[in-house]
Amino acid sequence: MGRGAQALIRALEAVDCEVIFGIPGGAILPVYDPLFESTKIRHVLMRHEQGAGHAAVGYAQATGRVGVCMATSGPGATNLVTPLADAYMDSVPIVAVTGQVARPVIGTDAFQEADIASITLPITKHSFQVTDPADIPQVIAEAFAVAAGGRPGPVLVDIPKDVQVARTTYRDATPPVYHRAAPSPADVDAAVRLIASARRPVLYVGGGVIRSGAAPALLAFAELTGIPVVTTLMARGAFPDSHRQHLGMPGMHGTVAAVGALQKSDLLIALGTRFDDRVTGVLEEFAPGARVIHADIDPAEINKNRRADVGIVGDCRVVLAALTSAVRAVGDLRDWWAQLDALRETFPLGYDRPADGKLAPQYVIERISALAGPEAIYTAGVGQHQMWAAQYVKYERPGSFLNSGGLGTMGYAVPAALGAKVGAPDRQVWAIDGDGCFQMTNQELATCALEGIPIKVAVINNGNLGMVRQWQNLFYGGRYSNTNLNTHTRRIPDFVRLAEALGCVGLRCESEQDVDRVVLEAMEVRDMPVVVDFVVGENAQVWPMVAAGTGNDQIMAARGIRPLFDADFEE
Amino acid sequence: MTSHKLMMLVRNKPGVLARVVVLFSSRNVEVESLSFVPAGHGDLSRVDVVVGLREDRTSDQLMKQLARLLDVVHVADVDSAGDTALIA
Ligand SMILES: Cc1ncc(C[n+]2csc(CCOP(=O)(O)OP(=O)(O)O)c2C)c(N)n1
Ligand SMILES: [Mg+2]
Repeated sequence: MGRGAQALIRALEAVDCEVIFGIPGGAILPVYDPLFESTKIRHVLMRHEQGAGHAAVGYAQATGRVGVCMATSGPGATNLVTPLADAYMDSVPIVAVTGQVARPVIGTDAFQEADIASITLPITKHSFQVTDPADIPQVIAEAFAVAAGGRPGPVLVDIPKDVQVARTTYRDATPPVYHRAAPSPADVDAAVRLIASARRPVLYVGGGVIRSGAAPALLAFAELTGIPVVTTLMARGAFPDSHRQHLGMPGMHGTVAAVGALQKSDLLIALGTRFDDRVTGVLEEFAPGARVIHADIDPAEINKNRRADVGIVGDCRVVLAALTSAVRAVGDLRDWWAQLDALRETFPLGYDRPADGKLAPQYVIERISALAGPEAIYTAGVGQHQMWAAQYVKYERPGSFLNSGGLGTMGYAVPAALGAKVGAPDRQVWAIDGDGCFQMTNQELATCALEGIPIKVAVINNGNLGMVRQWQNLFYGGRYSNTNLNTHTRRIPDFVRLAEALGCVGLRCESEQDVDRVVLEAMEVRDMPVVVDFVVGENAQVWPMVAAGTGNDQIMAARGIRPLFDADFEE
Repeated sequence: MTSHKLMMLVRNKPGVLARVVVLFSSRNVEVESLSFVPAGHGDLSRVDVVVGLREDRTSDQLMKQLARLLDVVHVADVDSAGDTALIA
């Protein structure tokens, strides 16, 4: 006979959990005792539960495994709300284990009681509250299977303290088995017919392709058919950036070629993507001439925002394999490619050096990409630096760009990089963060320093909440209300000294000629986390841009420069 | 607003009704009436619900979102007999 807490640790070991990111507290204390003894599970002691949740997400995104975070009841559990919402939006498989007050006092407003299962109802795929310690192995096995199966997502397991200490006999669980959903042959046939008659097809690739491990299958299908590819923010790396058929990222800050391809397409082959408003712009004006094949593992995504002519319910890897073996003919795409090539030649991604002579943030990111290379993992916060990280890092493999796409969570980059580094210790991990975002979760650098997790952080320090400032510049007549962080003017905080205080190496770079040297210096540090304060100009803007509330045809390649797709595409 | 009458079978697991009701509120669905009664051999319940949807929304999308919930076993639009989402 053991106790519930021991059963929990054994159950987590049985599902091959190798690391838990967490913080103890009263209502989860019984679990930390047998955890102390586990030789299979590493516990990383975080500094904030939000960090624990984002670390679990980063770990899951980098490895494809289920990430696990743990917290006590009440405030510990409520601190997990943001990462759970993030994991829900971006379909990341994580399991959050929370302590709960003892069953007899549930509902009495006991000390540190919060009804976390109810609080997280709309942002979890499922939740379990354990009422019998004998159920623990089965609940854990199911929680892992639910998190990873079908469309992945976050699962909460809430365990009252008395259940953790109750005596129980451990019995092996029988985990439910999820099969990769296979598409119906009729749907595949219908898709193949549309593909055969299309003259301007585009593969519109979303994060589902990465989640299902379908990148090799995508490459095979794309090369077989010669169809152009665009990769959304969540799908950067699903198709090599160096590939001739890749037009880049679509959406609000996408390339002109990717946006133009969608707008002028006669057939979208949408894979594991959800027609998010940041991609479509005004829905009524999105890809007006296109028929749509939409493949997704979640039937509820099909026809949600855009009606599909052919909906295929299935795992992207299986769907792509089926399409590859079924596809017979593809139309002649030479005219289409000539138009797209002209578009990408006329409107390549690019930026000007700031007129005031300050360092260009895009240049910094371009150089980090060139020096750290495509085998590194990059995470980003949310803001201008995130968009530049999506645009100017060259991704060649899936799982190499991690960011909070759906929820847009500032503070994601550092803890997600921590989690990614734990999951992939042999890869270099760079968090490309903003000066605003970094101030939300940099405390996890103490965790990195003490636990031996040597990540690298590039703070793209533009002194401002830059993305908000960009909107104020464009839409509020340059009235910069509450966006100056004074990290330039007053140097509060001093990021170099802050890094040092957190046990990291702190470096600073303020001019273009120093960028390579400082990045290489950061790369030479192998046993400590490094923070580089890149002091960049505050006036750089993210281009291209489709302003919110407008259609994709209104894309601006840069201020005052609007490509006219109708003139560029003669039909 | 168009009314749709849905019938669901759900597992009697803690929180199942809360999950269904929260789905309605987070997906901006108006609930006009709802009943929850035991069904089967005590392990299932039957939910009959009338929801109001904007004219341009079909019940199809909502049924798929409901079917996605782990403890929802069956969803059907009572008025359009063909529309059934069944989960193993
Ligand atoms: C938690 C959270 N709060 C607020 C926002 C709104 N927001 C989006 S981008 C941004 C500015 C981010 O500033 P910084 O990290 O310096 O990045 P920059 O845009 O300057 O590169 C803000 C405040 C958000 N996305 N997340
Ligand atoms: Mg900033």
